[in-house]
Amino acid sequence: MRNAHATASNLHPLIRYGLALVLVAAALTLSLILQVPFGNPFWFFFAIAVIASTWYGGWGPGWLAVGISTLLVLYYFIPPNHSFQLNLRDVPFFVTFVLCQTIANWLISWRRETEDSLRRARDELEDKVAERTAQLKNTNQALVDQIAEQKRTEEALQVARTELARVARITTIGGLTASIAHEVNQPLAAVIANADACVVWLSHQTPNLAEARAAAERAIQGATRASDVIVRIRSLISKAAPERAPVRINEAIDDAAALASDQALKSNVVVAMELASNLPFVLGDRVQLQQVILNLLTNGIEAMSGVEDRPRRLLVRSEMQGARQIRVSVQDCGVGVNAQTMARLFEPFFTTRPKGIGMGLPISRSIIEAHGGKLWAESDGEHGSIFQLILPVGDGTEQ
Amino acid sequence: MKEPAPIVFVIDDDRMVREGIQSLIRSVGLRVETFASAQDFLAAKRPDAPACLVLDVRMPGLSGLDLQHKLSEEKLSIPIIFITGHGDIPMSVRAMKDGAHEFLTKPVRGQDLLDAVQKAIASDTAVRKERVELSEIRARFDSLTPREKEVLVLVVAGLLNKQIADRLGTSELTVKTHRAHVMEKTQADSLAHLVRMSEQLKTAALRK
Repeated sequence: MRNAHATASNLHPLIRYGLALVLVAAALTLSLILQVPFGNPFWFFFAIAVIASTWYGGWGPGWLAVGISTLLVLYYFIPPNHSFQLNLRDVPFFVTFVLCQTIANWLISWRRETEDSLRRARDELEDKVAERTAQLKNTNQALVDQIAEQKRTEEALQVARTELARVARITTIGGLTASIAHEVNQPLAAVIANADACVVWLSHQTPNLAEARAAAERAIQGATRASDVIVRIRSLISKAAPERAPVRINEAIDDAAALASDQALKSNVVVAMELASNLPFVLGDRVQLQQVILNLLTNGIEAMSGVEDRPRRLLVRSEMQGARQIRVSVQDCGVGVNAQTMARLFEPFFTTRPKGIGMGLPISRSIIEAHGGKLWAESDGEHGSIFQLILPVGDGTEQ
Repeated sequence: MKEPAPIVFVIDDDRMVREGIQSLIRSVGLRVETFASAQDFLAAKRPDAPACLVLDVRMPGLSGLDLQHKLSEEKLSIPIIFITGHGDIPMSVRAMKDGAHEFLTKPVRGQDLLDAVQKAIASDTAVRKERVELSEIRARFDSLTPREKEVLVLVVAGLLNKQIADRLGTSELTVKTHRAHVMEKTQADSLAHLVRMSEQLKTAALRK
């Protein structure tokens, strides 16, 4: 209750107590004026004065009003009038008056206190709600900013990643220059040999048209093959944005293997393929997937460069893993990877090769993850390691 | 003696190249046999005829250089025309050192290849002819008695009958008889011919 009074009113105590005095004085005046026509109605006016004092002034002014009005009533209205004396006859009436005043004061201040604390609670709640709302607003704005920033970063990252992947492809292609030269040169050799043969067959005294024709057809086949190689390489170095289209993973493997074939030959590596037929397609960027496989193939070939005591065999496998995933694995029989190296294999710029830049595997992994798949490596005991990737199958149609 | 028709062996793992070269060589009227690998070539029965080998350096399994090495180990002399995608110098040097007949870079001009093939076959024909001659000479020389061989060595060394008789401790007449037998058995027309034949045998022995 004391607490309640401290904050019962925002008014100055002087005003509150003054108000009590004024109200009691007014009650006295009215009682005195109306004394004659209506008997003794003082009780109502003093009751009103006490209630109003307590309501507006609080507990203290209330009690002040109770005290003063008790004295005034005793002095002016309880016989003998104009004296503080009290006849025994009037004691019950006077006590009832004082009791009523006190109870009124007590009830009102209790009521007032309840209301005040309610209001205070409501005010506090409103303040708190406003505060929280403001905080929430700030947080929300920050979040929106952050999301926008993150989106920009992600877009920039995407662009950077695409470009990096392309650069890595070009680097890989650079490493395969000898391979590619051979790839192109081989069909050209066929074209020239066949064209020469064709000319000779035609320049016989009786031209051998059947032979000439067969040679010319072989020349065409060779030229087509050479142009296929060029198309394949050009698609690998082109700057196209990654696309999401159905990709037959076995075709990507075949293309990558063709590009790596001469390097394999040069390194005396036999590339064995165990490709499951009827694999569903995966949704993704064929060039990027080709790049990953090419990267795994060249890694595998290089991993076996020191192998002399057993055939250098690189096994490429494709198969279903459950109903929704395709697994591709590239297994070499090289020197294997120790646990320490294995842990760092996919770190950028980590390489075990003197000329490597250490970006092949991290880029490959980011490509596969962008396709919703996984790429990881395992060491296969003492002989070699196996790189595996899993890709989710595209929707619906079978190959 | 009639030589069988010459034959060209083509070994290349690339079917299209193989067929192109085969057609080209066939078009000038030569016999051709093709193989996809060095192993296939080694496993095949090869006819006894003047021949040459058109060989891709780079092949899976046994490479062209490996095959050359293997052939020379087995003393199978056959002129080899190497074809390589990128004629790196150390490789060509090694091949030529090991007796490659020609080293051509891919893609080969048809005429260059045909010229090389003709030359290689001519060379193989010559080698074979020399080898036949040599074995005939050797057979004739082998038919000499030990005494006649002694006389032969001294005759070829340029000694006169008298000097030979002194060396061998016999009469000049006996030496004369031996000498006549030597000339007859070796079918030498003259002393010069005899000297030349014995030189041929000597160089052949040295070559081994």
